[in-house]
Amino acid sequence: MRSLLGGVTLVGLAAGLVMGFAIAPREATQGNVQRIMYLHVPSVWVAYLAFAVVLVASIAYLVRRAEAADRLAHASAEVGVLFTGLTIATGSIWGKPTWGTWWTWDARLTTVSILFVMYLGYLLLRGMIEDRERGARFAAVLGIVAAFNIPLVHFSVYWWRTLHQPPSLMKPGPGTMPGIIVTALLVNFAAFTLLYAYFVTRRARVLRLEAEAEA
Amino acid sequence: MADNWSFVFAAYGLAVVVLVAYWRFLVRRERELSEGSQILREGSGMSEQARHPAP
Repeated sequence: MRSLLGGVTLVGLAAGLVMGFAIAPREATQGNVQRIMYLHVPSVWVAYLAFAVVLVASIAYLVRRAEAADRLAHASAEVGVLFTGLTIATGSIWGKPTWGTWWTWDARLTTVSILFVMYLGYLLLRGMIEDRERGARFAAVLGIVAAFNIPLVHFSVYWWRTLHQPPSLMKPGPGTMPGIIVTALLVNFAAFTLLYAYFVTRRARVLRLEAEAEA
Repeated sequence: MADNWSFVFAAYGLAVVVLVAYWRFLVRRERELSEGSQILREGSGMSEQARHPAP
């Protein structure tokens, strides 16, 4: 099952690359550097998804005390931190040729950085507390509190004057992007979602094996 | 606007390095733990045999 998911993920990522580099046209204003979008936007989507899963799994853990829910929250937070880091790095690389700077304390960039630090703190907290049950409980509370930052990140471009552009896809109203660019983006969204599922499945299994080894 | 291909390759290259490194970490850790639990199982199996020797 896991190798099937891995295979489908690889096919999806290859399809995403073909769509992003061979099928989608060169963007008229930014040129080919806009192709970073097919990596940057799906990365932040996975980060949102991962932290939403942390929220749901944390609530489930506090209600039912199921270790599987705790492992899911832990695995999802780790993968979320990975993709948030990737979002910040690829955004910075995209920002240099388009905005003329690697970094600016813009509302979107600042809120994403806070999100990154909060979940990094979540992982550190888990590592610091030796009592597994206590650590899981504290982490679940932090996982729920930190999730309130997700809408703040998403709507920051509407609430404050920012250099970062507003969302092109996840917004109300008709889309402004050409259909082929939207399709390329959606293929990459699907591929990155599969990659998220693959990583979380493997990480959760590693966490289960670690718990068994410690017992 | 200039195409800035170097920035595109830098972004995708970084993503490949990070994602492959994480995947390798997961595979290695899983293998280590699976081997460890197998050794433990075999060890406990041997001690069981030692306690109850076959006639």
